[in-house]
Amino acid sequence: MTTLTPSLIGPELAALGDFDAQACMNCGICTAICPLSTDVLPRRLMRYAALGMAERVRQEEEAVFSCLLCRSCEENCPAGVHITENVRLLRRWLLEHPRRLN
Amino acid sequence: MSGRRIGVYVCHCGGNISDYVDVDAVVAAAREDPDVVVARDAMFTCSDLTQSEIISDIGEHGLDGLVVASCSPKLHTFTFREMAKRAGLNPYEYTQVNIREQCSWTHTDDHEGATRKAISLVRAGIANTKGSAPLQPTQVTTTQRALVVGGGVTGMRAAIGLADTGLEVVLVESQDELGGWVGTFGPMFPHGTVGKDLVARLREDIGRRPSITVLTRGRVTSRAGTYGNYQVGVDADGAHHDFEVGQVVVATGFSAYEPGPGEHGYGAPGVLTLVQFQELLDRTEGRLAYQGRSVESLAYIYCVGSRGPEHAYCSRYCCSAAVHASLRVADVAPTARQYHLYRDMRTYGRNEEMFTESRRRGSLYMKFADDDPPVVETGTDSLTVRLHDLLSAGEELALPVDLVVLVTGMVPRQQDDLVGVLKLPVGQDGFFNEIHPKLRPVETVVDGVNICGACQGPKTSAESIASGLAAVTQVAAVLKRGTADLDPQVATVLAEQCTGCGDCTSACPFGAISLFGSGNGAKAVARVDAAGCKGCGACVPACPVDAIDLAGYTDHQVRGMIDALAMEVAR
Ligand SMILES: Cc1cc2nc3c(=O)[nH]c(=O)nc-3n(C[C@H](O)[C@H](O)[C@H](O)COP(=O)(O)OP(=O)(O)OC[C@H]3O[C@@H](n4cnc5c(N)ncnc54)[C@H](O)[C@@H]3O)c2cc1C
Ligand code: SF4
Ligand code: SF4
Repeated sequence: MTTLTPSLIGPELAALGDFDAQACMNCGICTAICPLSTDVLPRRLMRYAALGMAERVRQEEEAVFSCLLCRSCEENCPAGVHITENVRLLRRWLLEHPRRLN
Repeated sequence: MSGRRIGVYVCHCGGNISDYVDVDAVVAAAREDPDVVVARDAMFTCSDLTQSEIISDIGEHGLDGLVVASCSPKLHTFTFREMAKRAGLNPYEYTQVNIREQCSWTHTDDHEGATRKAISLVRAGIANTKGSAPLQPTQVTTTQRALVVGGGVTGMRAAIGLADTGLEVVLVESQDELGGWVGTFGPMFPHGTVGKDLVARLREDIGRRPSITVLTRGRVTSRAGTYGNYQVGVDADGAHHDFEVGQVVVATGFSAYEPGPGEHGYGAPGVLTLVQFQELLDRTEGRLAYQGRSVESLAYIYCVGSRGPEHAYCSRYCCSAAVHASLRVADVAPTARQYHLYRDMRTYGRNEEMFTESRRRGSLYMKFADDDPPVVETGTDSLTVRLHDLLSAGEELALPVDLVVLVTGMVPRQQDDLVGVLKLPVGQDGFFNEIHPKLRPVETVVDGVNICGACQGPKTSAESIASGLAAVTQVAAVLKRGTADLDPQVATVLAEQCTGCGDCTSACPFGAISLFGSGNGAKAVARVDAAGCKGCGACVPACPVDAIDLAGYTDHQVRGMIDALAMEVAR
């Protein structure tokens, strides 16, 4: 169970740049087109980021860094989401907020 | 031999009929009847070409009766009646026989049986035409005034449209003021028009038209009369009025769904219906606050009261109205977190643009399963909404929010009085029923009573107004000619046979029969008001001495058809 609160990554990402994953309408075209097409890339990653589910994004660190930034998804997104720019911002956010070791 | 000269036309309907029915055999059987002068088949009898061939047959062979064996009479009765008229033949001398729905389509596994049945039905059809007589429609003059019941946007716009066609209009509204729901609204989707302003403009437009009589605090108490000429009673403001009207337009709108106590937390502070939330927005100047506290986060729960066991339909307006409300929130509280918990987004047409804009401006959308609705937890000082979000792989999410907005749908208005007075047809969903949603969208099965707007079922304001204007067109088409032709297939009383017992008067569901002329030693005789008779035939079997006949369906014709069918069995 995830509790969504305003303090999670949404506003932080917005502060880093032009983050627009919330414009996603969840059609799934990007995932169908993505040459890597993992479980999470790119639709579900956009979803976790848009909802501000920081823990989920951290768990999917691999996916975030494996993206080829080829922009195939972005070219085809009917909602005009800047998917690769969002991935870049997620990378930066992950570097600035590394997973805590416990 | 009856001495009639009858033409019989048997249709292939492409292959719809001839793939299963031996059309040549049917034509040959028809030719056996000595009164049949012409019998032919045709690929498409309804085509212009075949119609003109039939018309020339009628002239050339001096035909005085027709049988068309093709599809259901529901489809082409009027087509062939018009054709007969063009050929100078009385349209009631033609009989339609249905060998498609009743033969080829139903007996695809039995070609021989289908053919035999088609032959029997055609023989019965010939017998019917043999007994037919030319009938003339009854012409009545129509009253150049319409009654509009309900003064919401639909009724107001319809009244204006009717007045502009030159008709007089009586507009009856049950409340103190015209306007209905829209008269209470602030900015509306899709254009941001303020509902109150829209209604104010319509009120002015009505005020400028002296041919519109507005009666507020009113209700319709009675309706009587016959096609094109009805007497209606209206009580308004304690006074009673009687009007003659040619047509009635019902535009009585809807009620908003009221959630039950505890339904999605309803009743707890901070849980509002969409109506209440819009009122809050309309009152808001500057900061968005509820009971003195800033609203930083809110959850909209869609489809409350719609698409469920109690109200199975989609209320259509509410997705768009909720999205529009969230855009208004984004204007006054740009940082507020807005969660939309939906089943399906139905911001159809251009309203999709609002949906896109709302996501661009930060609204977050989550989808719950039909059988797994969100749960609202109402704590002493907090609200939390939980759901399984299908867009996040079913992840359970908890949303602590300041406000919960229940996106409530439309329900039918309780209208038992009006339904009783006008005999309005009420559908399974509780809204009023038109004859056909696409082909006859504003007429009802009750003659002279039309419906439009949200009383027919959920509609947006623009859709309601469009249907109000459709009602204007329909009413004007009926009334503006000044006269109406009524179907001549009505009951007739054989006066010499009638004993004046009166059994028929109580059998008639339309009150079209009364007894006349008793006293002075003369016996009373039943008389049928041709304008009031609908040709249903309920009176015919009620008469103990067979003194009533239905023109177009006389006993003579029906017996002839039965004999023809019985002969077929005997063969
Ligand atoms: C919360 C909410 C928000 C909405 N927002 C929008 C929006 O932004 N944009 C949009 O396009 N649509 C919107 N709608 C839909 C809109 O309200 C309807 O489409 C519209 O009101 C339908 O108009 P109507 O005249 O058919 O019915 P109504 O508005 O219900 O008017 C019916 C009128 O008939 C009167 N009446 C009822 N019974 C009788 C009787 N027996 N005798 C005499 N008079 C009677 C009533 O008093 C009322 O004045 C919204 C609806 C709701 C509930
Ligand atoms: S293509 Fe665009 S709108 Fe569709 S799921 Fe991917 S990001 Fe969302
Ligand atoms: S319009 Fe939307 S909220 Fe309203 S009932 Fe239909 S799907 Fe549900």
